[in-house]
Amino acid sequence: MSTGKKTIASQTSDLPEEGQNRRQLLLWLSSMGLFGSAFVSIFSNLVFIKPRATYGQPNRFAVGKPDDYPPGTRIALGPQRVCIVREENRVAAISTTCTHLGCIIGTSDTGFACPCHGSRFDFDGVVTGGPAPKPLPWYQVTLAPNGEMEVDKDAEVPMGTYLKL
Amino acid sequence: MRLALALASLLILVIHLAVFYDQFFHPWEKHQTAYFDQALNMAKTDGERAALKDRKPRIEQTIVTQFGETRVDRCQTCHIAADDPRFKDHAQPIKAHPYAEALGDKLVNGKWERRHKFSDFGCTVCHDGQGRGLQAEYGHGKDHYWPDPLLGYATQEPWRNEFKPKLLGKDYLQANCAQCHTEEKFAGTPKVAQGRKLFFEKNCYGCHRIEGIANGTLAPDLSEVGKKFKLDYLWESLVDPRANIATSFMPKFNLTDEETQALVIFLKSRKGVNFAETSLDRYRAQLATKTLHPEVSPTLTADATATPVSIGETLVKEKSCAACHKIGVLDGGIAPDLSFEGLLKDETWMMGHFRNPRALVPDSIMPTFSFSEAEYKDMTEYLKSLRTPPPIATSEEAFKNLCQRCHGEKGDGNGITALYLDPSPRDFTKSGFMNSKTEERLLKSIKEGVPGTSMPAWGQVLNDDQSRSLLEYLWKTYVREPRKPLKPRNVPETNPVAMNPDSVRRGEQIFAMRCTGCHGKKADGKGPNSLDILPRPRNLRNSEFVNAMNDRRLFESILYGVQGTAMPPWVDYGMTNNEVGDLVNFIRSVNQKQK
Repeated sequence: MSTGKKTIASQTSDLPEEGQNRRQLLLWLSSMGLFGSAFVSIFSNLVFIKPRATYGQPNRFAVGKPDDYPPGTRIALGPQRVCIVREENRVAAISTTCTHLGCIIGTSDTGFACPCHGSRFDFDGVVTGGPAPKPLPWYQVTLAPNGEMEVDKDAEVPMGTYLKL
Repeated sequence: MRLALALASLLILVIHLAVFYDQFFHPWEKHQTAYFDQALNMAKTDGERAALKDRKPRIEQTIVTQFGETRVDRCQTCHIAADDPRFKDHAQPIKAHPYAEALGDKLVNGKWERRHKFSDFGCTVCHDGQGRGLQAEYGHGKDHYWPDPLLGYATQEPWRNEFKPKLLGKDYLQANCAQCHTEEKFAGTPKVAQGRKLFFEKNCYGCHRIEGIANGTLAPDLSEVGKKFKLDYLWESLVDPRANIATSFMPKFNLTDEETQALVIFLKSRKGVNFAETSLDRYRAQLATKTLHPEVSPTLTADATATPVSIGETLVKEKSCAACHKIGVLDGGIAPDLSFEGLLKDETWMMGHFRNPRALVPDSIMPTFSFSEAEYKDMTEYLKSLRTPPPIATSEEAFKNLCQRCHGEKGDGNGITALYLDPSPRDFTKSGFMNSKTEERLLKSIKEGVPGTSMPAWGQVLNDDQSRSLLEYLWKTYVREPRKPLKPRNVPETNPVAMNPDSVRRGEQIFAMRCTGCHGKKADGKGPNSLDILPRPRNLRNSEFVNAMNDRRLFESILYGVQGTAMPPWVDYGMTNNEVGDLVNFIRSVNQKQK
């Protein structure tokens, strides 16, 4: 059949390779369609693996007005696992999750102390003793338009970064 | 072939891309980006700007565990500016939630402080809707299968479009305020209070039960009605009770739209356990309803010139008696005409009937309204004063004014109230029945009524001649057959079998064999066959009726059957007088016990 077609093509057209070209174009188009959709579906399946929202405490949360924290206080918020540090006119949030095995750290006279394995941290969260391998992370604090402070645990900031009031 | 393959594969690619786009590019991302852009322009400090630049669109959620089941409210994913007072005049969804004194918000140093912080309360506690939804349609609960659409803001495709505009508005949110603020006179829930007042004024409590509020037993329990039904269903059920349940005998109360709205809001607030309640509160409320007496309206007692009759008249009007009964021009179309009740019943009957309607008419649907004894008395005085008979100059007129309401225009026992009466009114067109009874007996029914049923004694209204001509009129108009001579019947005047436990036991056995199919195991007229039979089998536990019947009549009905009904003549099945005597003793014993 293909030979017959070729002879007809050679007789009536100046382009003897037209059938061949058309075939290649179609082949190219269908492979593009199939591989393209395979790629898209693999990609979307991979994206799908990571949940967009989880049922935990939200990572960005309001912690109340600056006035709720008088200057000089260090208040650890239990469920949110963050310690709000207020000094004169600046505020910071330091994590209270131990960098060793994830226990909830309490405040102490010298900074922070972990009840589980005795890790100790100074006021800035630097390790001063015990098995903890890393200092405590600091989180970004912003002032929301409604006057409340917001802590974003997704945004770590370098030690010593304060929100100026 | 190759062309088709190429086209098909391209089509698949397009579909994949469309699905991909739909799954990974959301409207809420656009709202959040728009919010970030606008907030960036409003930002005053560099820190603010830097923080905003860091933020990327993501699902914002509040997890609330204090109010019943855990709620996951993602509303602020789209309504991202809900807590940003700078956006108070913007368009939805990037709009700040309003602040108001009424919501408990406080103005401190020129800045509003919320009473109900979104981080503590979430959104759906007050607004309803589907907290997890990330598309407006689902989030707002517009999906038909979501039980609580956004209260007062979204209606699901209602089946009655005329209600749609009435179901919108902030007022409906009061139903949810009342979940915590359960005080009756809470300033924030005036509509709930109004609805509660109407619930008593319109006598809803007589039939319906709401835990801690009302103890009615006739109609559905409304304790959790707000949880089960949406606003449009509640509205529809109030204005058109038979829209959903064809056999409902709830009257139409002719409420104004404002009253209906208040009742809908009150009903919507009934969701069973409230967030504010403890089990002790519930127990106390339960105890309280056992002695429930709604207050007499203070205007009545204050009026010094009031007589019992005038107080009774006001009560009868205020308590919606005419929602079922006919009193003068008011007509509920469900229950008997009270316009000349003073002629038909005496004080003892009325007081007894108020206290417990089913003690006198055992199958009555009239609820026992827990008014005070003094109110019963006043209403009795008023009803006693209604002694003007309707025009009864001709028999035709008499039938129209006295009989037609129950027995129907065609005399076939299908009057407007017939559906609600048990036993049902007699069908005069069944000539078999009419011809099998003596004239004396038919006249007796007219003049003395039938005890235990809704048939009153017309003797006070009609004199002997009028009764007789009324019966002739019935015969001429409805029976339309010449009166046949009665066949002689061999019936004993009194029961030949003495009443004793043995006879009762034998009677019970015969009853179980012969009668239970229609009259039921309990002899209450609700046997398995009763559903297919009209008129329904007699309730033999209707003591008022049974005790008024002499032995002769019971014997006659059993031995020779009741023509025009399904009751067969048992003499044809070989039943002897002694067996019937045992049966009669059994029936009488059942009704003695009940007394």
